[in-house]
Amino acid sequence: MSWLSCGESKLRYLLARKDANEEFDEELRDHLRMLAERFERQGMAPREAWNAARRQFGNPVSLKETRTQMQTFAWLETLKRDVRYGWRSLRRNPVLAGAAMVTLALGIAANSTIFSMVSRFVLYAAPVARPAMLMALHTTHDGDTCCNHFTWPLYMDVREQARSFSGVAAYYELVPASVGGLGEPERVWGQAATANFFDVAQLTMTLGRGFSADEERAAVVVIGERLWRRRFGADRKILGRAILLSGQPFTVVGVAPPGFRGVELILNPEFWIPLRQLDRLQPNSTTFESRDNHWLAVIGRLKDGVTEAQAAAELRLIAGRVARAYPATDKGGGFRFERAGSLPPRDAATVELFLAALSAVVLLVLGIACANVANLLLAQAAGRQREMALRLALGARRGQLLRQLLTESVLLGLGGGGLGVLLTLGATRGLTAFHIPAPVPLDTTVSVDWRVLLFTLALSLGTGLLFGIAPALAATRPGVSNALKGEEVLGRTGRWWSLRNFLVVSQIAMSLILLCATGLFLRSMQNAASMDTGLRSQGVLTMSIDPRLHGYTAARTTQILAELRARVAALPGVAAVACTDVLPLSGGHRSDGFQAEGRPGPVQAIPSVEMFMASPGYFKTLGIPLIAGRDFGDESATGPKVAVVDEAFAHLLFPHENPVGQRVSSGGVIFEIIGLTRHIKSRTLGEEVRPVLFRSLVQSIGSEPSMMGYSIIARATGDPAALENAVRREIHAVDPTLAVFNAETMEEHLRSALFLPRLAGTLFGVIGAVGLLLAAIGLYGVMSYSISRRTHEIGIRMALGARSGGVQRLVVRQGMALTAVAMALGLSAAWAVAHLVASFLYGVPPHDPVTFIAVPLFLGAVALVACWLPARRAASIDPLAALRYE
Amino acid sequence: MTKEVSAKTDLLQGTLDLMVLKTLAALGPLHGYGVARRIEQLSESVLELNEGTVYTALLRLQQQGWIGAEWGVSENNRRAKFYSITRSGRKQLAKETQDWERIAGVIGRVLQLEGQK
Repeated sequence: MSWLSCGESKLRYLLARKDANEEFDEELRDHLRMLAERFERQGMAPREAWNAARRQFGNPVSLKETRTQMQTFAWLETLKRDVRYGWRSLRRNPVLAGAAMVTLALGIAANSTIFSMVSRFVLYAAPVARPAMLMALHTTHDGDTCCNHFTWPLYMDVREQARSFSGVAAYYELVPASVGGLGEPERVWGQAATANFFDVAQLTMTLGRGFSADEERAAVVVIGERLWRRRFGADRKILGRAILLSGQPFTVVGVAPPGFRGVELILNPEFWIPLRQLDRLQPNSTTFESRDNHWLAVIGRLKDGVTEAQAAAELRLIAGRVARAYPATDKGGGFRFERAGSLPPRDAATVELFLAALSAVVLLVLGIACANVANLLLAQAAGRQREMALRLALGARRGQLLRQLLTESVLLGLGGGGLGVLLTLGATRGLTAFHIPAPVPLDTTVSVDWRVLLFTLALSLGTGLLFGIAPALAATRPGVSNALKGEEVLGRTGRWWSLRNFLVVSQIAMSLILLCATGLFLRSMQNAASMDTGLRSQGVLTMSIDPRLHGYTAARTTQILAELRARVAALPGVAAVACTDVLPLSGGHRSDGFQAEGRPGPVQAIPSVEMFMASPGYFKTLGIPLIAGRDFGDESATGPKVAVVDEAFAHLLFPHENPVGQRVSSGGVIFEIIGLTRHIKSRTLGEEVRPVLFRSLVQSIGSEPSMMGYSIIARATGDPAALENAVRREIHAVDPTLAVFNAETMEEHLRSALFLPRLAGTLFGVIGAVGLLLAAIGLYGVMSYSISRRTHEIGIRMALGARSGGVQRLVVRQGMALTAVAMALGLSAAWAVAHLVASFLYGVPPHDPVTFIAVPLFLGAVALVACWLPARRAASIDPLAALRYE
Repeated sequence: MTKEVSAKTDLLQGTLDLMVLKTLAALGPLHGYGVARRIEQLSESVLELNEGTVYTALLRLQQQGWIGAEWGVSENNRRAKFYSITRSGRKQLAKETQDWERIAGVIGRVLQLEGQK
């Protein structure tokens, strides 16, 4: 009998306990009845027969008790005994147990941390009822597989025609508003949605309700739970009260459930107003008639019993109908959808690849950790051979011993898992601190949720079995019984030596792959950090306001920005000050096509130019060198428009001429170029060269106001952070109700611009260091163990005249031979997988020679030290003591 | 329960398991009642059987994986659980039979020795 199958039957029994109990009762009852019938046939009266049957059968209750005990408690008892025994034997060797657990904890924590990202970004489901039925819909266009928003008419077509959905709602993704309540005014972001939004999402509101069907145009608002706590002190009487959003009254009808922040993956809106109210917060942003303007996100709830394939088929039909009805705008259009809260389809592949790469890497770390612990246990198994031999001789079955040893290793695994959870808690907090550069509110909190805990538990059990199985098999090998006669079975035979060597080789090979990846990412981070942005970031402070949210007109905005500039310039410690709309390297802002004006020949055009607004002093404040022409001056808001361009722009449109004085146009608006600057990075550090054009701030506020507010930038003579409160005071001196946001130094701003390389570099740096440490410990451990086993042999060699140097060489050569094999394997594997990470590297080729030369050398050096330390000990063996040793 | 009686039950327990196993090996699948009848018949009522203990034996054997159980229909058309011996059960039976015979032989010889005296 194997304990496994026996355990399995018990497990099955536990699961089906109720049925089995009833069946057993029935079985006993039948038996009694048949017995009674027999007695009746023999001539007894029914009642007498029944009594006789019961006498003969005995007590059924005690029988049932016996059965329960046999099937459950026996199992639990065995487990309890194994656990208790395992605990005792771990306690007997606390250093080994501790080392094993810490090793495993590192490996497990690395995996759990990456999995917590997977859980947050891939397995995330929108916080609504039955999230699997809620779909996010997108429009597609011929050839372009993905994805656009909906126009209002197209949304209405789908809403009216689609029978696969019980409801289809549309919303405008993010609209800013300043909100009053407790403390300084604050800019928050919300969404504007059709009245059925909350019915489609199906939420259990904290307070009140969502929108009702007749509230399409009503001035009502649903606020988020966090906003309610933060700005309104969780006041339950808020329902029915009007609150001011950017100065406009809205009546609160409900508070959304905790954790609800819309149905998207990382957007972080905090209030919801009806779509038809959007213009009150952001004038001219709704276009209900246009079939051109794609401005609405759409969600739909599948009807019960409708499959995704059926819905997709119906949407295809609708797309065809719409295309025939409106060929000018909707020809070639289509739809696609996925579960609400999924990764945005455009980025899904990249993010998944990144997470997959990380998962593979942390699995390597865990592999190294497991190999380490397996080696430790193998060494321990050698030390425990007498115990095992004794127990085998006393009649223990091999299965029982295996079970016992595996219980011990699973205990180690669970201990490591427990520690690992603690490490993961710290690591996720660190991950959450990484700030994605984006002008809109994102929630990228990574936390240890139930999925992560479950994953960690499974991992702990799994690794416990994985690293335990080989040592357990070794320790209980039948030949072990020779150990009773004093033979060193495990220390002597070649077979388990090779297992040990195999473990070390795979460990070093894995850590080489890991370190190559780490090296590439560190190089990429270094490259990105030293990349020339075109600006001087030291000593610059920035701070943003959005006067539009406070009902300011364009003229008033221009005036207030000018006043602020004057006030801040007058502050002590300010060298220069300027205003702009959005800072460079904010992840993307406004871009447009430009062409040269008034020139003969074919039209020269650039399809996409990054546009920034700039006040006088902008280039001085940000430290962007002017190559030719002049800075902005006192242009009038209505005068002829002027612009400053960067080298990239000039090179594309005016390759052989002086751009200053030339005229360019965009969408019919003509600009005269008055200055030329050095090239700057506009969106992200990793971007290809993007041409840039700076417009005059005063000439742009009226015609094209910024949706993201305006930033004041000040260059300090000393520490810019020290200026923050003074600048804030000046803003509130101008208008105390202005909400201030994005207060940061330019260096902080650039740090978030480094988000991706820094995230990847940090993750790989930590993981690589852990992997290297574990592999070095593993090699050291194996070499030490080998020497402790060979004390006798080395003693003889030295007694026969071997020099201490020769002995050292012997030991080091043995260790380095293993290292060399591992390096050859690891290096070729690393070479093969390097191109997988190529798309995440900044200016580093995947087969970067520096990395591929430095890493093996470095690892070789570490291995040399790990071998040399035990070698030195071997060389200092006193031959006499060694020979007397046995 | 006195020590003497308990020792006797222990002996019976092992014996009973062996008898149930042998019965199932010889007669094929049987329900609990059938096993009890067969043993009653064979033991000629010499073994004062507390009939319910057949089930203790059946459970024990099942737990060891020596017999299996399956629901079926009995001869008078009732639903009943049928027990049958498994392959490892047959091995165990062979082994225990051998053991039993060996011990019985030893004890028999020892007792004969006593008788000759």
